[in-house]
Amino acid sequence: MNLPKIHSISKKILVGALGAFLSFFLLFHASANLLILRHDGGEWYNAFCHFMGTYVIVKVMEIGLLAALLLHVVLAIWLAVTNKMARPKGYHKLQRSKTHTGSKLQVWTGILIFACLIMHFTDFYFVKIGLVKGKYLAKTEDVVALKTTQPNAFNYAEQHGEYSAKENWLTNFDKEDKAVLEAAGLEVEPDFYHQAREKFKILHIAISYLVFFAVVWFHLRHGFAAVFQTFGLYNYKYGKAIEVLGQIYTWVVCLMFTVVVIGVYFGL
Amino acid sequence: MLDILNEQLVNDHIAHPVCFDNDCREGICGMCGLYINGRPHGNDDGITTCQLHMRKFHDGDDIWIEPWRAKPFPVIRDLVVDRSAFDKIIQAGGYISTTTGGVPDANTIPIPKHKADMAMDAASCIGCGACVAACKNASAMLFVGAKVSHLALLPQGQIEAADRVHKMVCKMDELGFGSCTNTYACEAECPKLIKRQNISRLNRQWIGALFGRDRK
Amino acid sequence: MKLDSKIPAGPLAEKWTNYKASQKLVNPANKRKLDIIVVGTGLAGASAAASLGAMGFNVDIFCIQDSPRRAHSIAAQGGINAAKNYQNDGDSVERLFRDTIKGGDYRAREANVYRLAEVSGAIIDQCVAQGVPFARDYGGLLDNRSFGGAQVSRTFYAKGQTGQQLLLGAYGVLSREIARGTVKLHTRCEMMDLVVVEGRARGIIVRNLVTGDLERYAAHAVVLATGGYGNLYYLSTNAMNSNGSAAWVCHRKGAAFANPCYVQIHPTCIPVHGDYQSKLTLMSESLRNDGRIWVPKKKEDAEAIRAGKLKPTEIPEENRDYYLERRYPAFGNLVPRDVASRAAKERCDAGYGVGTGYAVYLDFADAIQRLGKDVVEQKYGNLFQMYQKITDENPYETPMMIYPAIHYTMGGLWVDYELQTTIPGLFAAGEANFSDHGANRLGASALMQGLADGYFVLPYTMQNYLADQIYVGKISSTTPEFDKAEVAVRERLNKLTTIGGDKTVDHFHKALGKIMWEYCGMARNTESLNKAKKLVSQLEDEFWKSVFIPGNANEMNPELEKAYRLEDYFELAQLVIDDAMHREESCGGHFRTEHQTEDGETLRDDEHFMYVAAWEYQGHGQPETMEKEPLVYEHIQVSHEVHITYLASGERPSQGPFRDLSFGRHLARLFFP
Repeated sequence: MNLPKIHSISKKILVGALGAFLSFFLLFHASANLLILRHDGGEWYNAFCHFMGTYVIVKVMEIGLLAALLLHVVLAIWLAVTNKMARPKGYHKLQRSKTHTGSKLQVWTGILIFACLIMHFTDFYFVKIGLVKGKYLAKTEDVVALKTTQPNAFNYAEQHGEYSAKENWLTNFDKEDKAVLEAAGLEVEPDFYHQAREKFKILHIAISYLVFFAVVWFHLRHGFAAVFQTFGLYNYKYGKAIEVLGQIYTWVVCLMFTVVVIGVYFGL
Repeated sequence: MLDILNEQLVNDHIAHPVCFDNDCREGICGMCGLYINGRPHGNDDGITTCQLHMRKFHDGDDIWIEPWRAKPFPVIRDLVVDRSAFDKIIQAGGYISTTTGGVPDANTIPIPKHKADMAMDAASCIGCGACVAACKNASAMLFVGAKVSHLALLPQGQIEAADRVHKMVCKMDELGFGSCTNTYACEAECPKLIKRQNISRLNRQWIGALFGRDRK
Repeated sequence: MKLDSKIPAGPLAEKWTNYKASQKLVNPANKRKLDIIVVGTGLAGASAAASLGAMGFNVDIFCIQDSPRRAHSIAAQGGINAAKNYQNDGDSVERLFRDTIKGGDYRAREANVYRLAEVSGAIIDQCVAQGVPFARDYGGLLDNRSFGGAQVSRTFYAKGQTGQQLLLGAYGVLSREIARGTVKLHTRCEMMDLVVVEGRARGIIVRNLVTGDLERYAAHAVVLATGGYGNLYYLSTNAMNSNGSAAWVCHRKGAAFANPCYVQIHPTCIPVHGDYQSKLTLMSESLRNDGRIWVPKKKEDAEAIRAGKLKPTEIPEENRDYYLERRYPAFGNLVPRDVASRAAKERCDAGYGVGTGYAVYLDFADAIQRLGKDVVEQKYGNLFQMYQKITDENPYETPMMIYPAIHYTMGGLWVDYELQTTIPGLFAAGEANFSDHGANRLGASALMQGLADGYFVLPYTMQNYLADQIYVGKISSTTPEFDKAEVAVRERLNKLTTIGGDKTVDHFHKALGKIMWEYCGMARNTESLNKAKKLVSQLEDEFWKSVFIPGNANEMNPELEKAYRLEDYFELAQLVIDDAMHREESCGGHFRTEHQTEDGETLRDDEHFMYVAAWEYQGHGQPETMEKEPLVYEHIQVSHEVHITYLASGERPSQGPFRDLSFGRHLARLFFP
């Protein structure tokens, strides 16, 4: 196979840059997730999701993000394979040097994350692109007006879901309700607020997400400082600061995610 | 220790003595290099194999000695490996192009003390290959980083800096060394305690070489 | 054999300039038609090969290690001298020249030494341009320190790794030439013989240490830069693979060997701690600035310590013998290195030694009390750390142990002003030649000499020789001379591998080292030398009967390597003994107990021995013949006072009250010159 020639350092820089981009997204994602903790029937969170799902620049960035993720994975595995090839015959004794374990596990945590991501996507993202079914909401011009214009649909909605007069939408529908609403001519989109609240109530899902975050924590913890190292920004002066910053960043991101899952599970 | 083993092997006519590289026996030539019980240069920090003492082991311990293992370091015999790959990396550009004579007076270009000191720290590499042996990827980044840093920190070396880093890294890749995944086993095992900051500087130099204007 | 030193005419300061102005040169187009072999990749070899390659010659360079960077020049710690006078303390070419001549006890050639001093400054320029990270002061300019017997600070240094940095600089330029294709590198190759065709050195036979194959290389000239023969003494500060064989095979082929008896001993090495030890590590002599040297006063205490029943710290003050302070109250622990070395050996021989019996204490307890641990740590921290790594003892708590050891050999192949040996076309550079240090070498001068020879002398003088060689054409390596040399080497190796005795090579090497150290070491006399001669012959006979070398000559075989090097050492040992015997005086590194002052210092005999003794090989077992090259001092006035050779390597104790003076009686000289 004729692979394009990219020098090892360039490859690493690419992986690092993509990783930095992805981890920046994580911060963004995690902070948005906090909105789930609001008992507002999904007002804020769903409004945010609506924005994310419709705004054109975000949509472009979404494609970029997915591409970045894939490239990050492909390059990292490529590197890992060439690295393995650099030592065809291994040692008899296990290595006992003092090292950063995060790095040795990085590929494996990365693969784990990828596996977890599939779970995560099945739970949420694929709902959006219609691959799997989840919770839905319907956006209207005016919920109150709907009562008079389409009373059947409104009654159905009232029975099977909730509605918010303030945001003018009907929320918390199950997948079987989707067709009914669509038949009524309503614009239907996923209701991630309720979906999350429902999923995280289930113990095994909550636990698997906590495991997921732990893996992310491992991956990020090494990745953050490593990005600086790979970009050549790790030096005698700021080395310590970068490491501390990396720790803080990792903890903040992972704790934010965790808080939401645990919070929802315990009914906060 | 191996001297004794060999003397015994010869005395008892048991076998051909075990071949291993060694020379100065004071930790500066970089000739010796054995992978002892899972650590290059054995279980101590900042030393070479020849500086490792038997007192670091307990009576009755099994000692596992292995040669450096890496694709660019083929084993020649027993514990002797061929490290000429390092020479080839240096030949690719790990020097400042000077010919004898025709250089300015030594004090013409002042160099800030802290920079000279940093260059000295990087330059103290003895080329033993422990970094490669320790690295899970058999990467030579610490070796290359130390040389690139040493020369890039000095004004004399900056003229060729971009070209140098490019050539050395290309050679390193070509020879089959792995890449750095920031495990820092190299730093932990370097007998001269060369720091990972040098790898960082190498990366920086590389970015500079790719995007800077110093190279065609 | 006729010795022609070829010293150019004219006043001393103009000799080198005159030589360069009138020497023959090779034009650039012809340079690539000329082949040069360089053996050794230390400072002298690497710098010579790089310089000659850059000029356009075809160079082949050989080393026994796996990389040129492993040569033992790398282990030099202290620094390199140069008459730069950056410190404005009165240094000059003239002063460096005088110091070197004086340090060598008036046994070096004036013209060579002057040239060395003259080019010393350029070496520093060259090295800085190569990126050698010399120590600098806060203004960014080069820093200097004082060293070995000088009243000025002229030593440039790079931490404690100056040799390493200089070698890596030379290795860098050598690598560049290798990349350019002007120099071809051959690693893991050992020179086994020199091939002489029609009286000229025309090639070498090397043994590939990996495969055991013998290979031939032909060239128009051969440069030998293979270092000294300190390992003759088995325990020395030299590297394990350092050996004198390359020089010795040249000697067998007719190159004269000069002043072999001049060997330098370093007083502050970390002593042997067991029979298994194979080499010694040197520590800077600056330790003697603040450390006090002692052994137990009572023999039973010393015995108890050796048996591990008593700790040095348990011996009360009154039972300690500060023998240097006792015997030399004026200088105390700062006595010159020869005196310190001999005194240590004398005490140990008398049964007061500690450790394994061959060590004395160097105690810092007083200094720590007086200056505080911080100050001591600041000054000697890295040395203490090194000591602790090696011995596992904490020198802050228990006294260090030290013992003298062989460190450098001033003797070597005889060379003329052009660094050419008595075989035309064979040049010798660095420690392998005898030229610049006389009977003793100053600290930080070995690096200077190696680089001076390689960068600035050989590239000129070799052209003078090569100028008429352009007519010779390519040298063939298939001539009968090469055949003969190769067959001889093969026979020699086969002879060794078929002895089939039952003792290891190291067994004999240790024994030889012990004999030489005991009877031809830092102090010699007729009786001891006679004894040594007899013992060495006996040992050699035994070697040929009962050495066992496993394996064969056609494979990687370190035991065989050791064996043929040792075989040469037997002959070399005889020559060292003969030379020491004939030199009925004491000078520099050669101390005959019959010739000493009341204070135990060296006593020269300028009237009878102011010459270089160049020995010519006469066949195995035959006494060699000696030719004298008289030393004429036109420029410098020979001082008949007893000269104190100071600390040849390592820092000079500069804190002492008597700095650079001879024992008290020379004090006045400083004030009333």
